[in-house]
Amino acid sequence: MRTNSDRRRFLRIAGAAGLAGLAGCTSGDGSESTETEESGSGGNDGAETSTAGTEASTSTVGETDAETSTMADTEGAETADGTSSASAPEMNVGMIYAKGGLGDKSFNDSANRGVKRAVEEIGVSFNNAQPEQNSDFPTFQRRFAQSSSPAYDLICTIGFAQVSGLTEVAPNFPDQKFMLVDGVVEESNVASYTFKEHQGSFQVGHLAGLLTTREVSAGAGETNSENTTVGFVGGEEVPLIKRFQAGYEAGVAHANEEATVRVAYTGSFADPGAGKEAAVSMYDNGADIVYHAAGGSGIGVFQAAQEQGRYAIGVDSDQSKSSSQFADVILASMVKRVDNAVFTSIENVANDSFNGGEVTTLGLEGNGVEAVYGTELGSAIPEEVKQAIAQSRERIIAGEIEVPTEPSGG
Amino acid sequence: MSRRDTIEAALARLVAASWIERLLLSIAAIATSIVVGGVIVLVSGMAATCEEPAFAFFGPTSCYDPIGVYVQLFQGAIGDVLGDPFNFRLALTLKETALLVFTGLSVAVAFRAGLFNIGSQGQLVAGALATALTVLFAAPFVPAALGAIVLVPLGLLMGAVFGGLYGAIPGALKAYADANEVITTIMLNFVAAQVAFFLVSSYFSAPESQSVETRTVPGAAVLESTLFGAGSNFSVFVFVLGLALVAGLYYLLQRTAFGYDLRTSGLQAEAATYGGVDPKRTVVTSMALSGALAGVGGAVWVLMVAGRFTAAVPALGFDGITVSILAGNNPLGVVPAALLFGVLKSGSLAVQLETGVPKQLVGVLRGLIILFVAMPEFFRLIGQRFVTPDREPVATDGGEPIEALQTPREAQSEPPGSEPGETEDGR
Repeated sequence: MRTNSDRRRFLRIAGAAGLAGLAGCTSGDGSESTETEESGSGGNDGAETSTAGTEASTSTVGETDAETSTMADTEGAETADGTSSASAPEMNVGMIYAKGGLGDKSFNDSANRGVKRAVEEIGVSFNNAQPEQNSDFPTFQRRFAQSSSPAYDLICTIGFAQVSGLTEVAPNFPDQKFMLVDGVVEESNVASYTFKEHQGSFQVGHLAGLLTTREVSAGAGETNSENTTVGFVGGEEVPLIKRFQAGYEAGVAHANEEATVRVAYTGSFADPGAGKEAAVSMYDNGADIVYHAAGGSGIGVFQAAQEQGRYAIGVDSDQSKSSSQFADVILASMVKRVDNAVFTSIENVANDSFNGGEVTTLGLEGNGVEAVYGTELGSAIPEEVKQAIAQSRERIIAGEIEVPTEPSGG
Repeated sequence: MSRRDTIEAALARLVAASWIERLLLSIAAIATSIVVGGVIVLVSGMAATCEEPAFAFFGPTSCYDPIGVYVQLFQGAIGDVLGDPFNFRLALTLKETALLVFTGLSVAVAFRAGLFNIGSQGQLVAGALATALTVLFAAPFVPAALGAIVLVPLGLLMGAVFGGLYGAIPGALKAYADANEVITTIMLNFVAAQVAFFLVSSYFSAPESQSVETRTVPGAAVLESTLFGAGSNFSVFVFVLGLALVAGLYYLLQRTAFGYDLRTSGLQAEAATYGGVDPKRTVVTSMALSGALAGVGGAVWVLMVAGRFTAAVPALGFDGITVSILAGNNPLGVVPAALLFGVLKSGSLAVQLETGVPKQLVGVLRGLIILFVAMPEFFRLIGQRFVTPDREPVATDGGEPIEALQTPREAQSEPPGSEPGETEDGR
């Protein structure tokens, strides 16, 4: 009797504790655990590069004038007082990434490439911050802006979710230069960069629409020419990502009026499991090509494509390079040159021509966004398809094709 | 049976521990977790490659400095207090602490009533959304001079009301349909998050915004940052409110008839019923109270931190569960437990910026500290159910262990106001 009731109580407590743990896991933070491997390696990359960055900058200081590192530190403190820092031999950049974090092989890694290029070509040093939740954005922005050793010459804020934080922080630090990707903050010390993602998405949509009716069999996948269904997997269902969807749907319709586009949102940029689930159900329902705009969750889409023997289209980076283990299913990627935006803004600050208060919009013209064929599968795409896509690109640039920015149907 | 006896003896020792012993136990737990975490940092630093090792001992070198990491973790949380007592880092620590006090209290109240409210997160979302929408809607009708006096209390009240209503749902389901509150509260978390997302993205979204969020609340309704400078998002008023709620809740639980009902139902529902407690009503009211506290937390988050409702609500409700366990479900313990969380949160941001340690590893260190500190308390909670220190069950206890009625600590603090006669009068 006693043992029985003891056991019942124990089970009740243990069960509740287990469920509590489970509930914790299903909240935002827990979803990251599924991509431990990815982000783990990404984190290490970040650590390596930042030390490499410091190394590079120390050598720059050593070359220009043989000062000890303590001297360099005082110099950093001086720049904090508001003296012009662009001409200083050492330039510090603070990087605040979007929530998917480094190792997403997509958006954030692209921004990271931009700053790494600046390390090599301009000789800057940089520091990474990877926020876990939206309320961390203003915290990091402020930390970087307040920091005096080192003082940051430019703070790069990556991602639309930083807009509300930056709107509040930027006016408080009028001498601090900021750059923002994927959003606009109208302050004289913020250089905003936005992209015409709908145009690039139209291009890959056009590609998907043309290929879904053709017989293509290369790499680890093949199309299903009888079924004219393609798919789109988004991250968080926000206006920015809907722009990707709108462009993609328009592109598919441009190629083939009959084709159906299945749409799903994972609700997170850091949940490969959800990405895989969405893609598998699309492939099961006859889709042969799935385009993702889901940051780190997109890795799940590639896994699904490989398992089902179908194709996928990457986003933000050339994902057949950045996730080369999936190169045999990645037909193309809608590349968004976040790296160029980051690099250009750093270069501008280095040249004392910071374009604060301006909004730079990068579209197909100038290759701010572009459709890049996969390294492994690009050669398997028929020449006439490539020509049609090159043509539609010209027509979009010329303004003959209007690409919508909002999905048509509810 | 001998192994069982050993375990029981250990649990009994834990249950009988005085508060001094428990404090020492917690400090020892933090120290142990630092040693274990330090070894992990050192070893991962040896595996990582870097140009210049940050730490070397007897030959092998490590890229991460385990001592530096912990120094940063705690120093980064308080900042340079001597130079500038109102610095931004301390403000961040206190901001997190203040928010977690509300959710911690929310979970603690439910736990004391014997209910596992995993739904504080959902109740917080419901309260936060109600607050934001009410304040946005009411702002044009309130004269500018009275803005802050009317809007802030109105926002907090609506947060409490909607959080409370949302908490009362699983309470009612438990009381009248016998639905397990653990399951219903977990599920209602998803319902709250998704409904809020839908409502905001479809009807209340801020124009021109790329995120799913409402317009910013008018300046009069914002709980202004005090003492710590503009933009620190920490209002001392909120901290005082939190402390007042702690005190109020402690009084409610220990000194009132309702608190007595709540605690006895939590300890043993059957005994409470026999003693004249209406079990159904107690379940609903304690869940509503728990939800209201979480709702106030949501209101504070909107009015003090976010300045608007955004769909990305931080996991304050889930952290509240751990805070409550750390606190032994005692309202007074919630403050130090929330402070530990605040320190770890603020400190880990500092570690990420100041040292080369990747954020995932910092997360491991945070988790280790919480795990080590929570475990003794957790076993104590389990132990309280199993063993009775220093006393064997006797026939008058109905053959069951007397765990149900009162632990010695509570027996001492039992107020005269909760005599059976008086509680019956009050009903």
